[in-house]
Amino acid sequence: MVLATALGEDLSRAFLQGLPPGSVYALIAIGFVLAYKTSGVFNLAFGAQAYVSAALYFQARLEWGWGILPALLVSVFILAPVLGLILERLIFRHLRTSSSVAKLVVAIGLTVAIPSLFDVLVGFEPVAGQTPTGIIPGGASVFYQPVGVYAFSRDELMAMGVAVVVMLGLAALFRFSGIGLQMRAVVESPRMTELNGIQADRVSAFSWALSSVFAGLAGVLIAPRFNTLAAPDFFNLVVVAIAAAAVGRLISLPRALAGGLGLGVFIAFANTFLPEWALSYPILAPIQDNVAPAVPFLVLFALLVLWPAVRATKEQADPLSGVDPPPPSLASHERSAGLTVATRVFAVVFFLTVGLVVFTQADVSWLFLVTQSVILSTLFLSITVITGLAGQISLCQGSFAAIGGFTVFQLSDRYGMSVLVAALIGAAVAAACAALLSLPIRRLGGVWVAIATLAFAFFFDAVMVKLPWVGGGGTSLLQGTRVPRPTIGPWDLGNDKAFLVLALVVFVVASLAVIQIREGTTGRTLRALRGSELASQSIGISPARSRVMAFALSGFLAGLGGAMLTMHQENVNYTLNFSPFAALFWLVLVVSLGSRTVEGAAQAGAAYALFEAIVLRGAVFGWIFRNTDRIPGIFPISPKWRFIIFGLGTIQFARHPEGLVEFNTRRAHRRAEALMARLGRSRAASPPEPDAPVTEESVP
Amino acid sequence: MTPILETRGISKSYAGIGALRDVAVQVGEGERVGLIGPNGAGKTTLFNCILGLLAPDAGSVRLAGDDITSLPVHLRARRGIGRSFQRIELFTESTVREHLLIAERVRRGNGSLWKDLLGRGRPKADELQACDAVLERLGLGELADEPIEQLSLGQGRLVEVGRALMTHPRILLLDEPSSGLDRQETADLAATLRDLQGEQGFAILLVEHDVEFVAAFTQRCYVLDFGTLIADGPTAEVLERAIVRESYLGSVKRDDL
Repeated sequence: MVLATALGEDLSRAFLQGLPPGSVYALIAIGFVLAYKTSGVFNLAFGAQAYVSAALYFQARLEWGWGILPALLVSVFILAPVLGLILERLIFRHLRTSSSVAKLVVAIGLTVAIPSLFDVLVGFEPVAGQTPTGIIPGGASVFYQPVGVYAFSRDELMAMGVAVVVMLGLAALFRFSGIGLQMRAVVESPRMTELNGIQADRVSAFSWALSSVFAGLAGVLIAPRFNTLAAPDFFNLVVVAIAAAAVGRLISLPRALAGGLGLGVFIAFANTFLPEWALSYPILAPIQDNVAPAVPFLVLFALLVLWPAVRATKEQADPLSGVDPPPPSLASHERSAGLTVATRVFAVVFFLTVGLVVFTQADVSWLFLVTQSVILSTLFLSITVITGLAGQISLCQGSFAAIGGFTVFQLSDRYGMSVLVAALIGAAVAAACAALLSLPIRRLGGVWVAIATLAFAFFFDAVMVKLPWVGGGGTSLLQGTRVPRPTIGPWDLGNDKAFLVLALVVFVVASLAVIQIREGTTGRTLRALRGSELASQSIGISPARSRVMAFALSGFLAGLGGAMLTMHQENVNYTLNFSPFAALFWLVLVVSLGSRTVEGAAQAGAAYALFEAIVLRGAVFGWIFRNTDRIPGIFPISPKWRFIIFGLGTIQFARHPEGLVEFNTRRAHRRAEALMARLGRSRAASPPEPDAPVTEESVP
Repeated sequence: MTPILETRGISKSYAGIGALRDVAVQVGEGERVGLIGPNGAGKTTLFNCILGLLAPDAGSVRLAGDDITSLPVHLRARRGIGRSFQRIELFTESTVREHLLIAERVRRGNGSLWKDLLGRGRPKADELQACDAVLERLGLGELADEPIEQLSLGQGRLVEVGRALMTHPRILLLDEPSSGLDRQETADLAATLRDLQGEQGFAILLVEHDVEFVAAFTQRCYVLDFGTLIADGPTAEVLERAIVRESYLGSVKRDDL
């Protein structure tokens, strides 16, 4: 009897405790669905929008000493809708007919760019341990106990109150205004509705502004729950929102509301009961702290895999989107033989020069950065395979890389295994994990693969990393999981230059493998599959088998890169190197520079490691003037510009999915060929021959 | 003789509404058979059941006597069901020849990752020759190196046929091949198909709106209406029957008036 009452009390307390965060989740889920419904954009940047409002509110209150109302007004009701309008007007309006994957990539870029841009513009610096304040005085310190079992803080009551008011307002908008109906029409086909006289642009702009206000409100309301105001936390939030929205198949607002509340309560249950169970089942102990935060990711993954209705949700691409021209074939396939030779000679000379300079001139820190860029290039080849060849967006490459790194750590730490052998095993383990992961999601379409892999990345981050047999458990993560450098026979790769040579060899071998695969049957099969799954099946290609293969390959390369990175840093450094948010930036880099070529991966690797040092710290001017004192005063520029520049760089993905490198290579080829033609003409002084079409000399 | 393709008692319903009821069709070796019927008669549903894109609620699909009802799409394709698409489905970013090449490689089972890694994955001379022979035969020889995006709809359909031929089909399922083509293009396509069939001996099942095309091209035809077969037999006879005229051709005639 006593037990039963205690259980009942626990249950109702957990229920009440789950309501306030649940209502914020609901707000986010609804804002997310609004943007998705009206523009077909899977807006991962939603978390970034929430961050911006929360950060501005925080900055205005604490730094500038504003009152609650003006701060709230400016951050939520002015900044948020303006940001929404800017995003719609400058970016997503032009992408309306792009594929949903292209829109997703742009949203991922914005996720990376927006918080940094805000920080730079406003001069906001998140201070560790400085907990944000709520939107009501004494929010965290004054409590009410209306029901008895659970004491709500003022902040929590406020969150629920705001959520209720906002839902009522939204319901009224849909019921009593014409724009609600118009919003639904625009989703179906913007071009078609425009033919019917509805101004799709206006409707879409309105819903983006509205959605952004939701993001801002949610951001300000949820911020007091975090210890520190940091963009990655808000990115987690958007995954929670997607889980909630997935309950309503991303199209139903009422179900998104229910999903948000349900998730909040479910997490509270997990928080209440898991610790008790862990007492009786010690095996649960290491994960009990981490399962609760992982609940949304588990729910999301399970929904995607087990609930066919979510998968069947039609991709919100415009029916007329097929009229856009497809991406061109690789520039290297189209250039003439002469140009190919010239390019190769140039590349060899360039790399020999760079190599010579690095090996003779570079100090320890430059050597470190160059080695890092080479290793990351290997790692980024995994994105070349999965995104460039197979056309799938995977957001868990960081987890695969971490698996490689952790395997090296565990095998060398526990069994004293040679780290090089361990690295190969780590790559194989990562490949196996990737293949396993791809099995349940093999039938998901474009955007859903990205979301499922993102859910996996967060699950790995929250649960797996904390396990003793993965990340080393507990304190070892903090103290650094040390890994020795390898030795090969007489060579001790503890020497940085020797290790750079190893990294280069690995990269060259991996690149050659990727090129062979791209030009071989596997690459052709994947290209066919990307072109048309139906037609591929009709000639006997198994889509599932090909996808699993692509994932395994990509996992292998990521695991290898992760293992190399671990050996290089003599440490796994999980949070710095492999966290889901960090890995998001990888995708942004590779996609904006070129996801389809080895060169793209190499340049992305260089950009990741060297862009900050060479460009943002102004070292390039030091080299030009041969004097570090003459670097102009504006340097060093904030390293956040990396995120801004490359994040915004993804915007061109929709128009040039081949990436900046490919785009520029193609342009350079055309110019070079025109130049050669002109030179040839003037030298021969013969009647001008017509410019040969580029395709005539393409390699079959 | 065992028919090359046979469906027995295929039924399929969506949300309680019957799309197909107890449909049995047979296509003999080397035969050209038509499948006609008004919009919504269930032609596409039957087509998809044969291809494996839909699972029938009841009934079986047999290819040369083997029950293939539970095989996935790509395995049916490997066993000899080739197809074309109503809305053409081509591989973007590929040339015309590459479309045939990939089909040829899949048929030969040459696609292993290890071979690719060892550099054995590049196209071999005899594969390229096989592709070029078919392209030549289809009159696409000149376009072999063209990016697929440069082609007209009619040429695109021919590429689809070529791609399907590379799998050495025993039966070719054609889904409204005349849609989007003008009269001359349709006639040319029909002539090419008939010639190819004469040489290679595969059977053809044709789903088509264009009654003239069906009349000229097929030897036998089935008529579907509301998910049920209402007629079958030699094409000329079937098209003459009153019941068919009423359900299908009747509306055409009325429109003409």
